[in-house]
Amino acid sequence: MSVNFTISPNVQNVLAELEIDRKKIVAVKTKNWGIILLGVIALLGISSLGFLIAGLIVAIPAVIYGAIKLFKVDEEVGAYRVRFKHDVIGATLSAANQSFTFTPNDGISETEFVNSQLFTTTPDRYSTEDLITGKIDKTSIYFAEVHAEYKTETQTKNGRKVTWHEIIKGIIFIADFNKHFNGVTVIRPKDIGSSLSAWFSKNIYSFGDKNVVELENDAFNENFIVYSTDQIEARYILTPSLMERIGYLNERTAYTVSLSFINSAMYIAFPLDQNYFEPPIFKTLLAPDLLSKDLAALKFMYDIVHELDLNTRIWTKT
Amino acid sequence: MIIVAVIAILVLIFGIGIYNSLISKKNQVANAFSAIDVMLKKRFDLIPNLVEVVKQYTQYEGDTLTKITELRGKALNANATEGDKLALDQQIGSAVKGLMVSVENYPDLKANTNFLNLQSTWTESEEQIAAARRNYNASVTTYNNGVMMFPGSIFAGMLGYQPMQVLETAAEERKNISAKELFNN
Repeated sequence: MSVNFTISPNVQNVLAELEIDRKKIVAVKTKNWGIILLGVIALLGISSLGFLIAGLIVAIPAVIYGAIKLFKVDEEVGAYRVRFKHDVIGATLSAANQSFTFTPNDGISETEFVNSQLFTTTPDRYSTEDLITGKIDKTSIYFAEVHAEYKTETQTKNGRKVTWHEIIKGIIFIADFNKHFNGVTVIRPKDIGSSLSAWFSKNIYSFGDKNVVELENDAFNENFIVYSTDQIEARYILTPSLMERIGYLNERTAYTVSLSFINSAMYIAFPLDQNYFEPPIFKTLLAPDLLSKDLAALKFMYDIVHELDLNTRIWTKT
Repeated sequence: MIIVAVIAILVLIFGIGIYNSLISKKNQVANAFSAIDVMLKKRFDLIPNLVEVVKQYTQYEGDTLTKITELRGKALNANATEGDKLALDQQIGSAVKGLMVSVENYPDLKANTNFLNLQSTWTESEEQIAAARRNYNASVTTYNNGVMMFPGSIFAGMLGYQPMQVLETAAEERKNISAKELFNN
């Protein structure tokens, strides 16, 4: 069951109204940045003639005025974003499937993110937004944007230096899986470290990870490494057909995905380069391809249920 | 002198590691085999219920039901080897598959909750056995690689370990799955 997300005439009208708001915001921003800039130019010009105090008297009020106005327009930007998310993205979603809801300020909780075991590192900084929930036929799904980072501290001459590293920036997708299972199975992108550890666990006893699952699909093994608390259950979940389907899904993403099967659910992490479902400020809302990337992302997430065949419920879990 | 001793100790640790790894691989194969057995037992246990439910609703499937019951009896016989059990399981599997097709003619039975439960449990057990067989084959492949490849082959020769046979997959399982076909349906 595939779906097409299209922009309805209603949404077109909302976009036209929002375009007016956007232009106002841009006008306020341009004007006040201009005032600040003029203030700074005045300060530089007047003080270069030797009148520093006079320069400051002209510049300070201009900069303060501009900054206050810019600060105030941020509220309008907030309202503009909220309306765009609700009335454009939310409306498009529920027009395609009534069960779908969009909650821009909600997301996947940090606890759930950690419990999913998709990543081995616990985040030190975590943010999430744009939660979308719904049901496609028999399968409940939800997904949200997530940005998780961890920090490292190094001692330098000037004191401690904190560096932030990305765990993931992208979308975490969760679906109710169609089979019962009790253990934990995790599929991670293959890298040199994990390949080495898998070799040790296979060849030298008491080294490496005992939980590596060797599967028979070579193409799958090239991209992923599978860990599980139960070797048979991992194969019960990862049937030859599901491995093919995951491989196909992965081919269509820029970065290798990670998956985990835990607590009756399937988690997929999609690392992405951009932030989705955000309105542009300095570009028009009326461009025909404005929403194409957002809609493509929505369709991609929506189609996962079909592509991974999660609606086939011929086993005891209904 | 110290360097030589360190190298000797490292070689020894490495050797013990490889030796233990071979033993653990062999145990793993045995373990994987008994897992298939457990799954088969679970599946055979479903048969009496399945036969009972089908019997209540159908008059013409008597032969198939008797055949399935007989096959189960053979499979549970204490003298049946693992190979026999697997072969019998395949026969039972195809007999039940045939039965499931003829069930299409009995709307009352198709609507029976008990039967529906049994049907999904049966499909589940089928996939669990497939998973257990794949697990066994993976264990055998890892064991065989350990036995046949250097440096494990040295210890394997000393221990008298021989390569083992993997299980043949059923014709349907062997069928190549192409992603294209999957998404066209």
